[in-house]
Amino acid sequence: MLLVALGFVAGLLTGRPSWPAEASAEAGFARDMSEHHGQAVEMAMIAYQKATLEEIRTVAGDIAITQQGQIGVMQTWLKTWGLGPNSSRAPMSWMPDGEAALDGNRMPGMATREEVGKLRSATGKEVDILFCQYMHRHHLGGIHMVDGVLKVTARPEVRELAEAMKRNQGFEVDLLEKILTSLGAKPLV
Amino acid sequence: MSTGDVRRPSGGKLTKAVAADIRKPKDEVDEAGPRDDDANGGADSKPTSSGATSTATGSRAAGSKSAGSRATPAKATPAKATPGKRSPAKAAPAKAAPTKAAGSKAAASKTTASKTAASKTSPATEDAETAPSKTEPAKASAIKTSGAAKSGAPTRPATKARPGGRPPVKGAGGRGRRPVAPVKVHSERNWGPIALFVGAGVAAILIIGFAAIQLYRQSHQPTWQEKAAGIDGLVDYYKTDPQVVGQKEHAAGILTYKMNPPVAGNHNGRWQNCMGDVYTSEVAKEHAVHSLEHGAVWIAYRPDLPANEIETLASKVRDKEFMLMSPYPGLDKPISLQAWGYQLKVDRADDGRIDQFIDALRKNATLEPQAGCSGGITDATGKPMDLPNPPAPGS
Repeated sequence: MLLVALGFVAGLLTGRPSWPAEASAEAGFARDMSEHHGQAVEMAMIAYQKATLEEIRTVAGDIAITQQGQIGVMQTWLKTWGLGPNSSRAPMSWMPDGEAALDGNRMPGMATREEVGKLRSATGKEVDILFCQYMHRHHLGGIHMVDGVLKVTARPEVRELAEAMKRNQGFEVDLLEKILTSLGAKPLV
Repeated sequence: MSTGDVRRPSGGKLTKAVAADIRKPKDEVDEAGPRDDDANGGADSKPTSSGATSTATGSRAAGSKSAGSRATPAKATPAKATPGKRSPAKAAPAKAAPTKAAGSKAAASKTTASKTAASKTSPATEDAETAPSKTEPAKASAIKTSGAAKSGAPTRPATKARPGGRPPVKGAGGRGRRPVAPVKVHSERNWGPIALFVGAGVAAILIIGFAAIQLYRQSHQPTWQEKAAGIDGLVDYYKTDPQVVGQKEHAAGILTYKMNPPVAGNHNGRWQNCMGDVYTSEVAKEHAVHSLEHGAVWIAYRPDLPANEIETLASKVRDKEFMLMSPYPGLDKPISLQAWGYQLKVDRADDGRIDQFIDALRKNATLEPQAGCSGGITDATGKPMDLPNPPAPGS
């Protein structure tokens, strides 16, 4: 009888791979980082249309396309894992001290609605400076979240994407700092 | 006196105390000394009834001495000082096996039992009297022997002829005794390993069962449609008006909608920005419906909603993607939530169904899973803002 039970469960287990659970760090990362990326796309699309410096329009377009693609990857993970896009848990609760980094509903580095509105209604060089400042701050917050998931996940696909994010955004942080300096402005953080 | 003395009867009488001492505990086998027909208590091979033993002392004692030699299994007839004892005694062999099993325990607790028996003895005097034949102090020695859980085989080499001259019931050779099944010293079944095996098996099954249930649960979460269907008061227009839900063309200008606020239908080519935008003036239905198509939840509230309730709603919306809220003049209820094809009207901002609606339908109700909520209209004039002919780059 015991053998039958063992066999049955072994069958259950081997019938499907082991997916992260509803409250897992991987699920939390996928949901929260999708949201975080969503704002990066919002700001990048504004800058893509309105920045004066071509270098900024190029990097903004790059950010928008790449991060929108990464949102797609993370949403597909959730679907594959049988999980929904929403959680009743607070954002960042999957990260140790994650909730302490929250500001209302905003994750680390996220701009307020007013700031995005300011970017949207800005003109000329102001667009350039505001975008570089907001996106620089946004990237640092994102890298903080990426570091959080890299500490706790062993899943190869999650690690691969997280490491790509860290690489790309780290490079862009340096670039944005350089551009800000050339614009005579300073980063916010 | 020690029981040892009893075993090797010195030939003297057993005193009451001694008999009591060595009296077998209740659960010891009654030897059913078949042979004995000690009418008066068969000092010799009578199985000892703990109860009556003491009274029968006298001759009994003598008898018991010789009985000591009898390697009869311990009798397990405690104070059964009943007249009809004899028969049961005879039947004892049948009981012998189980009682023998207890015998080892009995042996262990002999002293205690005998003490107990001793105390029973006194008050049980009358019992003893009625069943003189039953009680056999001699049995005490037999008890000892039986403690060894030997079957009828005589264990007492020190068998001595009893003063009574009766042939030992048990006899050194156990002759004449009803055959008794051999009994192991320690109970007939070793429960230790069995208990261990069963315990381990039960634990294993419980663990496996628990894991299986968890796995099953995890792979059978309710769908978002099921969650939505569980919300009391939710209107599912896929059921009540599927034709409207199926309309989703882009159209410019002011459009008319069947539901108020609208939940689906043709809509403007531009959506209302739904990146957690909290609008403080009326939003165009034509843009909002397009936002619903992208998977946003739109919270509309009657403009006279109290400020603290507006703020409660705003805390659910602000800065959260795929959410927007706006005042809606003419709303028939204080608050109305919309997702593509679904609507819920509530009276208060602290209604728990608001969070349930958002949890079930935000992003899930989308017709365009990869669409975003940024890049939309941010004005709120109540009128659609139709696209100018192609917007200049950088404008």
